[in-house]
Amino acid sequence: MSDNVLHVENITMQFGGVVAVNNLSLDIPEGKIVALIGPNGAGKTTAFNCITGVYEPTNGLVEFMGKPIVRNHPQGKMKKEYKGENGDMYLGKVVANTPDKITKHGIARTFQNIRLWKSMTVFENVLVAKHMRAHQNVFTATFRLNAAEERRMREETMALLEEQGLDKYKDEIASSLPYGLQRRLEIARALATEPKLLLLDEPAAGMNPQETLELAQFIHEIREKYDLTIFLIEHHMELVMQISDYIYVIDFGSEIAQGTPKEVQNNQRVIDAYLGVVEDE
Amino acid sequence: MKIAAKRNNTNSIVTLVCVAVLLITLLVINKFVRSDSMIMVVLQKTCVYALAAVSMNLLNGFTGLFSLGQAGFMALGAYSYALLTIPVEVRANVLYKHAGGIIDFCLPFIPALLIGGVIAAIFAFIIGLPVLRLKSDYLAIATLGFAEIMKNIIMSNDVAPLTNGPDPLSQYATGFGLPTYLAISAISILIIVLLIESSYGRAFKAIRDDEIAAEAMGINLTKHKMMSFIISAFFAGIAGGLLAMFNTTVSAVSYSTIMTYEILLIVVIGGIGSISGSIFATFLFVACREWWLRFLDSETLIPGITRGSFRMVVFSVVIMIIVLFFSRGMFGDKELPQIITNAMEKVRRKRAVADKVGESK
Repeated sequence: MSDNVLHVENITMQFGGVVAVNNLSLDIPEGKIVALIGPNGAGKTTAFNCITGVYEPTNGLVEFMGKPIVRNHPQGKMKKEYKGENGDMYLGKVVANTPDKITKHGIARTFQNIRLWKSMTVFENVLVAKHMRAHQNVFTATFRLNAAEERRMREETMALLEEQGLDKYKDEIASSLPYGLQRRLEIARALATEPKLLLLDEPAAGMNPQETLELAQFIHEIREKYDLTIFLIEHHMELVMQISDYIYVIDFGSEIAQGTPKEVQNNQRVIDAYLGVVEDE
Repeated sequence: MKIAAKRNNTNSIVTLVCVAVLLITLLVINKFVRSDSMIMVVLQKTCVYALAAVSMNLLNGFTGLFSLGQAGFMALGAYSYALLTIPVEVRANVLYKHAGGIIDFCLPFIPALLIGGVIAAIFAFIIGLPVLRLKSDYLAIATLGFAEIMKNIIMSNDVAPLTNGPDPLSQYATGFGLPTYLAISAISILIIVLLIESSYGRAFKAIRDDEIAAEAMGINLTKHKMMSFIISAFFAGIAGGLLAMFNTTVSAVSYSTIMTYEILLIVVIGGIGSISGSIFATFLFVACREWWLRFLDSETLIPGITRGSFRMVVFSVVIMIIVLFFSRGMFGDKELPQIITNAMEKVRRKRAVADKVGESK
């Protein structure tokens, strides 16, 4: 199990009476590209949010590099209303982390609808992401006693921008970039937090075929260069089938299939979920 | 990249020139104008209010926390300053109802100002714990409530042996000249600017632009919001101390919601997220209200219409006009040097185009 970077066990997320993610388990081996696919509203982004600490799942366990980062069981009112399974499996210690702590553990993410800091420049967008790993405090930073560290942060940011081909745009306001570059900048910003696992939420959304092709190459490149494991949500099937090592398919919050791209492509349940089932009359 | 570096260079040169011009003007005025003339009073008050406005801008403009507790923190700073600098001999006079009160020592004015700031910061920490969980309007209401509560606590008879209750404080250290106000205010504003330009300032701006993204990139929201809130309160406390120094008496009644709104007005007029905007707007605000519009108060100007305090009517109209024409404040979220640099570049580009056209002819 130790070669799994991320281990998700029986995650259930229930909002009121709606079970958005139901008893989902995933394993993401080190250095692989794993995709999570499913029809609209299947609960993919909710699963992401449970892993990154935006939501606290109702039940379940998430382990990152063998350490639990999220662990919860139905509590309070939810005890009675809980509709999921394994409700008594994770009794005992609750582990909850805010998104910033999970990022510090080494999980970085991008967002489905790009969330750059719109009034800041491209350079600043990446530089802020370096803030987390800096050793300064507010006093040394204000009185410029951290000059060496500040210089290091700026140099690293510049190097990262050059590697991503964004250095030309470094003084542009982030929101003025074309869509494809904004996506790339968001990935660069995530890389600046020095992650081991990168979560990409629909990285190809809104891209044309050419850009999508480049993106596939780009994802391979950054995996090699930064020694990353990548977990992505994507609707663009061509891209998913092309780059993924392993695929999980969910529908209505539950897993309906998993396997290599070939296995998933030929799975009847997956085809049904995407195309609908023809009912006999 | 070269162009950008060049622009940065011009920017810092323009900044230096701006600051130098401002300082020299002020020092010249200080040297040649009598110290009791109107312009001196206006400039002193500008120093005080500018610090209050910039501290509010740090919170509202740069961290995106819409807080209206500024008057409460200023009251804390003002009372701390006044109480700590009343000479021991006259304490029995000032707090005559309470046999000189419970403080029986006197501090020099700088430590007293700093202690005022620290006390405001401590209160900010205590109320920040519950209040900073709130967002936008709810935060504004909670902090507004805090300021009112603070005012009423200071005025209540239960703490009267400490604060003199509803009676004003006087005879503390005052009567400093413009250079004192200027130095304290300028150093404080400089520290805030350095903070905003540092890694922490960038983190604050990230929180303002997109909280969810900031958190996902490893910025601890609670910690950074608290930091901004405490630092803002500290400098508001110092501004309160300065205001006490300027006013020669301190009474909690004057640190009401109206004061917060005045400062908010300055921040909005100057531009939310612009330090130089806040400073410039403070000067306009104070000068208009106290000085330039004074002539409107005379009953003989337009008999039947102008009368005492008529200037406030005109003042409101002026503010409405400014808000109508500058919907994002006079400087928006840019700083003055940046605006000047941009304007210079525009002129240069126009001239270059004109030259080219001339050549082709």
